[in-house]
Amino acid sequence: MRQVKPQVGGEEAERFTLGFITRILVTIVLDAAAIWFVSRLITNEDYVLAAALSIVAIIISIIMLRHKAYPLRWMSIGIFFMFMFSIYPILFTVYVAFTNFGDGHLLDKDQAITQIRRVRYVPEGGTSFTWTAFRALDGDQNEFGEYALWLKDREGVGYLALPGQPLQRLGPGEGLAGEFDRNGIPLEIAGYERLNAITLAASGADAELREIVFGSDTDGVQIASAQTASQNKARYLYDPAADTFTDQQTGDIYTAVDGTYVTADGLKRLTPGFQSFVGLDNFRRFFQSPALRGPLLRIILWNFAFAFLSVVTTFALGLTIAYIYNDPAFPGKKIIQSFLIIPYTIPSLITILIWRGLMNPEVGIINVTLRNLIGSAPDWFNNATWAKVAILLVNLWLGYPYFMLICSGALQAIPKDIYQAAEVDGANAWQRFQKITLPLLLVAVGPLLVASFTFNFNNFNLIFLFIQGGPPIAGATTRAGHTDILISYVYNLAFAGGRGFDYGLASAVTILIFFIVATITLFQFRFTKMWEEVSENV
Amino acid sequence: MKKKLWLIVSLMLLVSLVLTACGGSSSNNTSSNTGNDTVAQPTTAPAATTAPASTTSITIWADDTRAPILAELATAFEAAYNVRLVVEQVADIRDQFVIAAPAGEGPDILLGAHDWLGQLVASGLLEPIDLGDKADDFTEVSLLGFTYAGELYGMPYATENMAFFYNTSMVPTPPQTWDEVVAIGTALQEAGTVTYGLALTGTTYDAFPLQTAFGGYVFGRDANGNYNPNDIGIDSPGMIAAGDWISEQIASGFLSNNVDWDTAHTLFETGQVPFLMAGPWALDRIRTSGVPYAITNFPTATQPGQPFAGVQGFMVNALSKNVLLAEAFLTEFVATEDVMVKLYQSGNRPSAFKSVLEATADADLAAFGEAGENAVLMPAIPEMGAVWASWGDGFTLIIQGQQTASEALTVAANQIRDLVAGALAGMVNVPGSWQAASGACPGDWSPDCEGSALTLGDDGLYTGTFTLPAGDYEAKVALDGSWAINYGVDGKQDGDNYQFSLTADGSVTFTYDPATYLLEITVE
Repeated sequence: MRQVKPQVGGEEAERFTLGFITRILVTIVLDAAAIWFVSRLITNEDYVLAAALSIVAIIISIIMLRHKAYPLRWMSIGIFFMFMFSIYPILFTVYVAFTNFGDGHLLDKDQAITQIRRVRYVPEGGTSFTWTAFRALDGDQNEFGEYALWLKDREGVGYLALPGQPLQRLGPGEGLAGEFDRNGIPLEIAGYERLNAITLAASGADAELREIVFGSDTDGVQIASAQTASQNKARYLYDPAADTFTDQQTGDIYTAVDGTYVTADGLKRLTPGFQSFVGLDNFRRFFQSPALRGPLLRIILWNFAFAFLSVVTTFALGLTIAYIYNDPAFPGKKIIQSFLIIPYTIPSLITILIWRGLMNPEVGIINVTLRNLIGSAPDWFNNATWAKVAILLVNLWLGYPYFMLICSGALQAIPKDIYQAAEVDGANAWQRFQKITLPLLLVAVGPLLVASFTFNFNNFNLIFLFIQGGPPIAGATTRAGHTDILISYVYNLAFAGGRGFDYGLASAVTILIFFIVATITLFQFRFTKMWEEVSENV
Repeated sequence: MKKKLWLIVSLMLLVSLVLTACGGSSSNNTSSNTGNDTVAQPTTAPAATTAPASTTSITIWADDTRAPILAELATAFEAAYNVRLVVEQVADIRDQFVIAAPAGEGPDILLGAHDWLGQLVASGLLEPIDLGDKADDFTEVSLLGFTYAGELYGMPYATENMAFFYNTSMVPTPPQTWDEVVAIGTALQEAGTVTYGLALTGTTYDAFPLQTAFGGYVFGRDANGNYNPNDIGIDSPGMIAAGDWISEQIASGFLSNNVDWDTAHTLFETGQVPFLMAGPWALDRIRTSGVPYAITNFPTATQPGQPFAGVQGFMVNALSKNVLLAEAFLTEFVATEDVMVKLYQSGNRPSAFKSVLEATADADLAAFGEAGENAVLMPAIPEMGAVWASWGDGFTLIIQGQQTASEALTVAANQIRDLVAGALAGMVNVPGSWQAASGACPGDWSPDCEGSALTLGDDGLYTGTFTLPAGDYEAKVALDGSWAINYGVDGKQDGDNYQFSLTADGSVTFTYDPATYLLEITVE
């Protein structure tokens, strides 16, 4: 590969070197892929994603072709993933928060209208038959059309139904009909071959087959299902101008209100509903929902306590270990430190489930051991306080290696001469730690503490996998547990505890939680700035 | 130099277009084929390619047990009808289907449980299935399970329910009543043979046969036999009686208060409890454990205990382009003894197909079938989603002894009622330009303001009186705290606003008649 040299005269770089050609080829392939994907997305009417992808493709093309932007090329993969997996989902979440997307409103309006128009009914006096299909030997050249049906009514009387012709009641051997089988269906009809229902269904599109009227205008039947043909009619007539459905059976008129066709009195509604824009409804629903009448304050307090205590305990333990091992004279330092990192290297999902097993009140090793040693053991799952302690312990296990690693690095960076000066001044070990190590360390680690707080504030995995928010709060007006944090509480309300999935409400709540977390984070960054000022004075 | 750049750019564009040409044309084809309103013209598809090969196909989503069985049918099916059968093994069928189907990427047929119906039918994703004469081949309860709002939405193949297990080396004859269960269990405990008399798994689903024995229920039924979401039985006397019984038995040491599915099964398998309520899904592990067991019907308290019944079956995607074909495939090809036997043999569940069920040779499955004869179909209405969590919490609080059964279950039932009804369901409001002026609400035109809500009187009319300063005002009726249902002049949905004025400071009384949707405004 060509060495990329820092060249001053920009135009000089535009030579047909191997590297340049590679660059052009890569851009061509990328753009080709992008154009292909965008065209597919447009045919699928997914315009938002198509637009997002186009923007990314254009940015990447510019980066690859413009000399000045070329150093950014190493970022292009990052830009792509940031757009696709971060910015696009965020925009989509915001969009969904203002719609009623969820169970009952999964289809778009056209799909819902198509579904409702497909509903058919048999008017009074209409008859249903079971059918057997026959195909003309001369195919679509046949004067009565390609297909004919043999109909059998409830009494077992058989009719031959040809498109456009009145139904003919035939016995065995009469008219075109041949001998009957034991079910009363002719084995053959002159000029036709008998078909299985599957063969008929496989021969054409659904819509086509259901449209064919077998029989005359007055007695014609249409295929209703793989078993039944009946003198059916469309139940709901759609008026595109007024956007209303009229029930042909009862005369009710349905208008679209917030994604559902309802009658004026709101009592009857057609399924399915469709996705529609509902403005601030989801936010209003959240603020009016039982969620806010429930133990919300309690949950928020625990949420803050959990995040704060998690950060404090993990940081304290991590720092302690790092401080101890900062002593170069410590024996076996490297091996022990490697072992201490293990909790960080195992996926937290597995760790949490292992801890769940270890803390099982009946058979878990921790409780069995404790019972053998001191005669009693805490009920980690059923006692509110112990459950909180258990959560914090597991989080401590999961979190300390991170701070141990960070602190080890940061401690190395503190100049040794400051300590020597302090020693000369007569400061003892605690004073040195308090006055020198901690302030200098916080400069480096402060932002990470904030990040850790934010992460733990939304630590859904731990709460949900370890204990599902339990144990339940007795007498709560909404379903909530002692260890529920905001996000797990809301998850239960929006998904697990409701009437199926409600993506609109969930997105709205996500946005609200985002604002809470963002506020906290901004507030904390102010604090870390304060620490920086402190450090400047040291 | 500039020229060179232009050359490069135009060259690139050309190559890009050439590269995308094939992709572009194929996407055009799919778009014309999937166009739903225009009548598809298969003859205009690219000429002279793939004409004789089967162009139609049926896609089925099945779990890992059933997918191989259905895949075996593919060869025979394609040979007979020239239709390709694509069987895809999918893990979370329901969750995937809900996303894929609206995007037009769902299967034609999916396998699933009957209690999905509420969610899937409400979203318009399932096509009713007409079994015709074939319906007689299936057990009644299995068809009932797949019937939702009067329509059949699935073709069943298996049913499942729990049954009562007992350890035959300790209990020679199965107990008929819960009193006998306690008597036998306590005797064994006193003899030191077992640790507990009975172990619960902690889920309300698993304890349902005990709760129903005392008369408990989840949803009542309306006149047509459909579940009524407004009749919630979580705090019914039967449920509370069962809860009291559990508290009592925990206090006496007969029941363990540690509840966990795995623990309960292990205790039974190691002979530490003589009884267990378990489902066919546990059959394999109980058989492997080697514990001597037999399966029988649930004991009686005030009435015979009833387990939940689940039905598994085939459903047809309403957005499929081959609904007729999918239906015909199910009724003509799958609803046969051959296929039903294979499905039965792999699944450890009693068949829903009568002839296969009658020929069931497995004594355990036959016993499950018998225990499930009086089973209660698991409610498929979407409101069931609101029940599980609160009910489970109430149950846990009883077992932990934190609350009495009546306290815990009343709270649980109220939580559920709240969720089912929605926060402001039943509110009758008269939002308008008067709301803020009256001091009852912070803003005007807010249908969700509780301050201006009308109250229901004994005469069936909603009324409310408010003091207002002089002026001209407008108002409208809005129900359930939103504008979705609102009535204007003459009781019209989205009708004109009512207008009223006060010449001097005074009071105004609103009277709303829910029978006529009319609002009467009296100014004093």
